[in-house]
Amino acid sequence: MSKEIGINQLKRRDFLKAGLVFGAGAAGLAAGYAAVPDAFARAVYAAKKEGITNDRVLVMIQLAGGNDGLRTVVPLSDPAIHDLRPKLAGPMVSQALPLNNDFGLNHNLPGIKGLWDKGRVAIVQGVGYPNPTFSHFESIRIWETGDPTRRQVDGWLGRTLATSYDSNGHPLTGCACGATDVPGALRDLQATLTVIQDQKTFGFTGGTEVEAAVGALYKGTPGIYGALFDTAIATATETVATLRTSAAAYQPMADYSDKVKLVYSSKNQLAAALQLASELIVTGTGVKLLHVTLGGFDTHYTELNRHDDLMGYLDSAVGAFYQDLAAHGMSDRVLIATWSEFGRRPKENASGGTDHGAAAPLLLIGDPVKGGLYGSAPSLTNLDPTGNLNYSVDFRSVYQEILSGHLGADAAQILGATYDSVPFLKAPVAV
Amino acid sequence: MSLNTAEDSKDSPAAAAAPRRGFTRRQALAVAVTAGVGVGVVRLLGGSMQKVAGSPTAHSGTDWISPLSSDSARMMHLLRRTTLGYTQAQLESALSVGYSKTVDRLIETKPEEPPALAAAGTPGGRFAVNQLQQWWVGHMLTTSTPFAERMTLFWHGHFTSDYRKAADDTFMYWQNLTWRRMSMTDLRSMLMQVTPDPAMLRYLDLATSTGQNPNENYSRELMELFTMGPGNYTEDDVRESAKALAGWVLPRPDSIATVVVDAANNVTRKLPVYSTQKAGAFNQRRAFKGSVTYLGKTGSLDTQGVIDRILAQPATAAFIAGKVVQHFVTAQPAASYVTSLGDAFRRSKYDMKTLMRAVLTSPEFVSDQSYRALVKSPTEFMVHASRALGSTRLSKVIAASGAGMGQSLFDPPDVSGWPNNDSWISSSTAVERVNFVTAAIAQQKSALPAATDAAHTHLDGVLGPQTAGLLNQAADDRARWFITLASPEFQLK
Repeated sequence: MSKEIGINQLKRRDFLKAGLVFGAGAAGLAAGYAAVPDAFARAVYAAKKEGITNDRVLVMIQLAGGNDGLRTVVPLSDPAIHDLRPKLAGPMVSQALPLNNDFGLNHNLPGIKGLWDKGRVAIVQGVGYPNPTFSHFESIRIWETGDPTRRQVDGWLGRTLATSYDSNGHPLTGCACGATDVPGALRDLQATLTVIQDQKTFGFTGGTEVEAAVGALYKGTPGIYGALFDTAIATATETVATLRTSAAAYQPMADYSDKVKLVYSSKNQLAAALQLASELIVTGTGVKLLHVTLGGFDTHYTELNRHDDLMGYLDSAVGAFYQDLAAHGMSDRVLIATWSEFGRRPKENASGGTDHGAAAPLLLIGDPVKGGLYGSAPSLTNLDPTGNLNYSVDFRSVYQEILSGHLGADAAQILGATYDSVPFLKAPVAV
Repeated sequence: MSLNTAEDSKDSPAAAAAPRRGFTRRQALAVAVTAGVGVGVVRLLGGSMQKVAGSPTAHSGTDWISPLSSDSARMMHLLRRTTLGYTQAQLESALSVGYSKTVDRLIETKPEEPPALAAAGTPGGRFAVNQLQQWWVGHMLTTSTPFAERMTLFWHGHFTSDYRKAADDTFMYWQNLTWRRMSMTDLRSMLMQVTPDPAMLRYLDLATSTGQNPNENYSRELMELFTMGPGNYTEDDVRESAKALAGWVLPRPDSIATVVVDAANNVTRKLPVYSTQKAGAFNQRRAFKGSVTYLGKTGSLDTQGVIDRILAQPATAAFIAGKVVQHFVTAQPAASYVTSLGDAFRRSKYDMKTLMRAVLTSPEFVSDQSYRALVKSPTEFMVHASRALGSTRLSKVIAASGAGMGQSLFDPPDVSGWPNNDSWISSSTAVERVNFVTAAIAQQKSALPAATDAAHTHLDGVLGPQTAGLLNQAADDRARWFITLASPEFQLK
């Protein structure tokens, strides 16, 4: 992309901010998504000139629907779990893969347990935020924006992209793999990023002729969506060309499979998405911030098999991803982190499931990690007034460590404040 | 080249001085377009190409110039947002009837029923979801009452369920039939129908909830997503209505069939067979026996009571009106507009005909700010394109292409249904939209319809300079159709 297009888009986005509401569906609109605030006032270009140039990569894995923390990192020694979950606790506790005397990983996480044994997994327990909402969509937005007051519109990774990287002209700096739309965490009008749902179909049928025609068609498009359309096509064209090269250069060194046993078939192809992420990383496309999603964690009903199967899916996909990165000699620069909008209610319901909860553990995986347990596990007996787990670590403390420690970004600028970081990294990146 | 900043848009009233005339349909794109990309929009005016908003002080310079002061443009705007595409003849017929009578026709015509889907008799509803998707898209391509399909699509995204968790495609089929039949009834009847809808009973787990140990899933989403919106109820209300709503179970099957599900291992399963569409049944023994405190009142409460209390909250009418407006009018409605529509909706006892008539005849619907203010959903885009090409044979391609654009029918991303507008635009979906146009044109075995008028009939003659320039250079109808349907203009509604 020429510089002129970049300037053009910047100007056009200035116009955009007045007219565009982020489409977060009815739920988002009902939650009071405001028009885009004065994001443009930030000195975006100045920041980018001195942007991050290190080789660190972040891969966020969203476990959508509310992942049950108590089935992910299982309390082994507290008998209260059996009172809370007479149907669900038994096998979960007896089969867990022990981390120490008190906690074990879900029995379907053997790959991640293997990485734990090598000191490559950090678990932050009791992660949440004050006055939790039990709405999926409100809580997702809080985690995505990093703002429990719900005033912020841009995503925390989108802000990172906009303030700390030169994404303009490098649309693959940020990429959502396996999605059709931009995940809220990556949203920012000042950031250019790529969305690739399926690499196999990502390209214009009809080849360069169609590509040229469409490139000519989407230039200076008027209207409130004009810049979005033009950027989408320009980004697609550029990324198609990059993928042609990267696909030829990439040889997976692990077995990625989406043919897994699940109670309900998955909307997301997690393994394929991570394989694409790996390709982008190991072939040097310049990708820095990646986002993938695995849905299905809203286990109000028949949680036993459903959650175990999802854990198995996560384990095999993440295991292959790590193995692939390591075989390519790239695992030292990549941090993999899970997130979910909330955990689940400690007490089970009549359907053999659990309703929406609050605090839960996060997994941080990779060579940059200093393995171990962080934070503190919430009490199973001292619950909050809604019968949910109390948090001990603010989720932004995890973001703080990721941003400043792993990426070398200005966390205070991105998060709007400085948080006590959770020291789960071996050493902060040299800035 | 002059680029205008947001400050300039403060002077936008000057844009009203831009000439507003009706355009003639037959005017071809005969005149070359000026090279001023990004400066204004070319509008085809009778006999010659006229550049408007070329002056930096006249307008923001980056907005579409609304043609909605003309009768024909208003009619095309209405049909684009309420039907699934129209031919020149249908447009002329609507114009001869007039705007308000066309609105009446849209709202009052009884929905045409789709043909029965034979697969729905499959035991356990175990048939491929693409059969269901092709069946619905096939009906969209040929129906004489496309407004009913637009409303069915709206309700499918509102009272949503997905085939994966419903785990019975017959249930999903029934739900689709239900929303079509009820699409223009009233909210209370719909809520009384959606609560025991079999696909919904599965999707949000109400079928497994008991008064003694309630499951909160349906209770929460009923208030958060279906009626009031967040912030209008408490966590206690979620718990209490979960008790009051418990007791619904799936309908009793007409028979049970033993079906081989795994021939290699000789595994069979007993699966339900239904000969007719059924709603869930209420089992008193699973219901909650005591009193509940819900939305500020205490007493015994059943499903009807829960729904009536929800409908007594002012938030409900405004929430539904707001969602309708965001779907049909603008992404950013004024609060006063939504409030007044909500008030009318509530006064009419939540009558959908009253609401939709009020929306479609409101000045806001045809205001300049509403022009091209919405992005066509993938299904809308594909069906509109197919109908523009006169092709009724694309249901397979359309059903298969939705997922890549972010809209797989019967498989919404989550319980909030599909997001809208800018969420439909990404590098991934942009490629898929273009590829669909390529495929649709390639599939056309017979001659393509003449594309000479396409820019008028389908793009209102309001074209960005790039679209106009490329259409002007296009060698044949194939190229003209490609540019028309792949253009940014056509993605909007």
